[in-house]
Amino acid sequence: MADGTPFSCIHCGDQFPAEALVSETINGQHLKFCCHGCRGAYLIIRDAGLDSFYQRKDRSAGTLKAAFDSRFDDQYLDQFVRPALDGEEISLILDGIRCASCVWLIERLLKKCSGILSARVNFATHRILISFCRKQISPAEICRNLAAIGYLPRPYSQNELQRSVESEMRGLMIRFGTAVFLSMQLMGFSLALYAGYFQGIDPQTRHLLQYFAAIVTTPVVFYSGFPFIRGAWHSLRNQQPNMDLLIALGVLSAYSYSLYALLVGGEVYFDTAAMIITLILAGRLFESGARRKASAGIDRLLKLVPTQAFRQEDGDWREVDSQQLQPGDLIRIKPGERVPVDGIIEIGITEVDEAAVSGEPLPVIKNVGDQIVSGTLNLTGVVEVLVSSAANDSFVARIARIVEEAQTNKAPIQRLADRLAAIFIPLVLLIAGATFWIWFNEEHALLHAVTVLVVACPCALGLATPTAVMVATGRAAERGVLFRGGDVLETAASITLLAFDKTGTLTSGSPEITSIKADNISADEFLRLLASAEMSSQHPLAQGILIEAEKRNLALEAPLSSKTIPGRGIVVALARQQLTAGSRLFLQQQGIALPAEESSGQSEVHLAEEGKYLGYVTMADQLRPDARQLLKSIRRMEYRTLLLTGDRQDVAERICQTLQIDTFFAGQTPEDKATRIMERSGSGVRVMMIGDGINDAPALSQADIGCAIAGSTDIAVESADLILTQPKLMNLAFALKLSHFTMRVIKQNLLWAFSYNLIAIPLAASGQLAPVYGAAAMAVSSICVLTNSLRIKRKDFGPC
Amino acid sequence: MLKSILLLIFLSFCIGTGAWLFFLYAVKKGEFDDIEGPKYRMLEDDDLDEQDRES
Repeated sequence: MADGTPFSCIHCGDQFPAEALVSETINGQHLKFCCHGCRGAYLIIRDAGLDSFYQRKDRSAGTLKAAFDSRFDDQYLDQFVRPALDGEEISLILDGIRCASCVWLIERLLKKCSGILSARVNFATHRILISFCRKQISPAEICRNLAAIGYLPRPYSQNELQRSVESEMRGLMIRFGTAVFLSMQLMGFSLALYAGYFQGIDPQTRHLLQYFAAIVTTPVVFYSGFPFIRGAWHSLRNQQPNMDLLIALGVLSAYSYSLYALLVGGEVYFDTAAMIITLILAGRLFESGARRKASAGIDRLLKLVPTQAFRQEDGDWREVDSQQLQPGDLIRIKPGERVPVDGIIEIGITEVDEAAVSGEPLPVIKNVGDQIVSGTLNLTGVVEVLVSSAANDSFVARIARIVEEAQTNKAPIQRLADRLAAIFIPLVLLIAGATFWIWFNEEHALLHAVTVLVVACPCALGLATPTAVMVATGRAAERGVLFRGGDVLETAASITLLAFDKTGTLTSGSPEITSIKADNISADEFLRLLASAEMSSQHPLAQGILIEAEKRNLALEAPLSSKTIPGRGIVVALARQQLTAGSRLFLQQQGIALPAEESSGQSEVHLAEEGKYLGYVTMADQLRPDARQLLKSIRRMEYRTLLLTGDRQDVAERICQTLQIDTFFAGQTPEDKATRIMERSGSGVRVMMIGDGINDAPALSQADIGCAIAGSTDIAVESADLILTQPKLMNLAFALKLSHFTMRVIKQNLLWAFSYNLIAIPLAASGQLAPVYGAAAMAVSSICVLTNSLRIKRKDFGPC
Repeated sequence: MLKSILLLIFLSFCIGTGAWLFFLYAVKKGEFDDIEGPKYRMLEDDDLDEQDRES
């Protein structure tokens, strides 16, 4: 802080000279900013109640250029450069894109670099497409520019899977668009034909319109409908009749019947074939849209691990890429940095925040010889750590592997409509065959048989599920409940056991003040002094105290100087007095007389002023405000409940008692949690896991449905099938009720479609049903299904 | 009568094809790849570069 840069900005952390100082006083705190932009940003963040950003912020993140120089070399990056219209192109993935301002900043920065022709960030996928001129700027230089503003780029190369998912998505879009365009043309012809049927039409015109209808329908069936035909073919080969087969059967029979009618004269039903395909494609498109975000998950987890580390080389500390660390290396970790690899402390003592890994909010004291885990945050002291495992063998990398494995091993869910199709198709084929056989000696044997297939066509049947799923996911999204796919919605309805994580899921994950015991002064005054003392501390307990002081609108006093002793406490000099705050033991060591201990089982922070004891606060990780309500409504829905926590036995027991959770397991490691889930699933029990941390990720992907709650770590969100984007637990009850209701609507839809078939098929088989009435009845039945599905939109689920 | 119908059918087909081709072009160009970003982008009001503003 010497050499002419006396201040560091509270927002951006940059150091700046005194003449640039912009200051602001908030709650008695004097805050220093390097510019008005930072001050504005700070105020916005603070007003939004997001101050915790400043504790989370990895202060060392201002990128260390040297560490990346070796990572971005042109030779390597050249593999990813493609020639483009006016220069070259490269696609990169950027870590750290959070909001639209990031996009703005990146694009602005790159446009200012000479040699860059255009840069476009895809906000949804965090990908950036840069076209540039090789002669003026090299790819490595572009990457260095990006890294310098804090977004770590890596070249984007699609693997086979991603590429196929992407091209499938585009293909689906084009197939759907084409089907819509042609169906719109077809509608004109069909309308004229229907009108002609009832009012009379000149046979020549009719024939012409029928030909036009045939022409526009053919591509819909064979191009847009290709996925169904292909799916039907596969299901035939695997001898597992599914929905695709039913759709293809209906569409193809309607189409070929119409072609036949076109040649020998009669009514055509091309519109039936085209409409089925168009509507069901729309449903598929909607569903795959919800699923799209699911990729890139495992990659992003590794962000928890810093990309560079300080390693001792020949008695010197050098920055190296953390991927290069080997067991036996000695690295140095400063306060505010995350631990890059697993290791054992050689020198130093510190407190480590393991919240991201274990879920527990209170920091753990680590002494010489203690194990320190990758992904955790070093809070208070500088430590030198002996590396015990290489980066891709560390804790975080291991979890990523477990999650990946669980996801690939997960059996695909067989959807209700597919299960029904498996019974229905052989039945329909049997009836059609029987019809043909019975009418064999008559003139129209084949025609009657085909009519059976046409009326059995799955119009309503095919729409039953997609429409209900579409409406339900839309309604859920409004509440911030995201179902990753329609199958998740269906499975959610069959869940019988709910497994909860404790910290961060049922509790808020950060300690709050539960009681204030002040001697001789008012609680507010006590809290004001305590908060002033803890103001400069990064400790979660200190943060809880500051939040409480903020709530009570207390004017704090900025300390002149402070000294933190890791894991014990803090000694602070204010303008008028000296304060000592910390654990009971710490105050005793400072020679302060304390009253006798009353055990509360909670964390305590004691405070003394000039050696005179003032009192203490007790703090605990509190239940989320709606946890009780949630468990109550879950009990009413007759779910069984389970608590899986890494915390101690007595804490878990107490939570179970207050919330009336059936069973619990304490002291669980991430692997244990996944095993508990595995033990319980199967044999009629379907498990939903609700969690938020990295430690829950394996269990989340192991469970039939994983549910991540707002504020979860990326990996938890990526392993989850159901995501609650708002910190309201009651949304889980809403999701469960919604899925039950949706399932009911789907069943009603299917029932309706079947009863339609039940009446129509015998009529058709006996040759009594004129196909035009069959088609009209089909339209009515589809409308009924649609209207029924729309009920989901307005259904009242009671208070949740 | 038939002539005018044919003409109208042909016309509607042309318009439809035009819209379809435009749609294909948009999909190929990746217009639908990022359906999240544009709603934020429109809020940026400093899209004009300095030179643009002067000219």
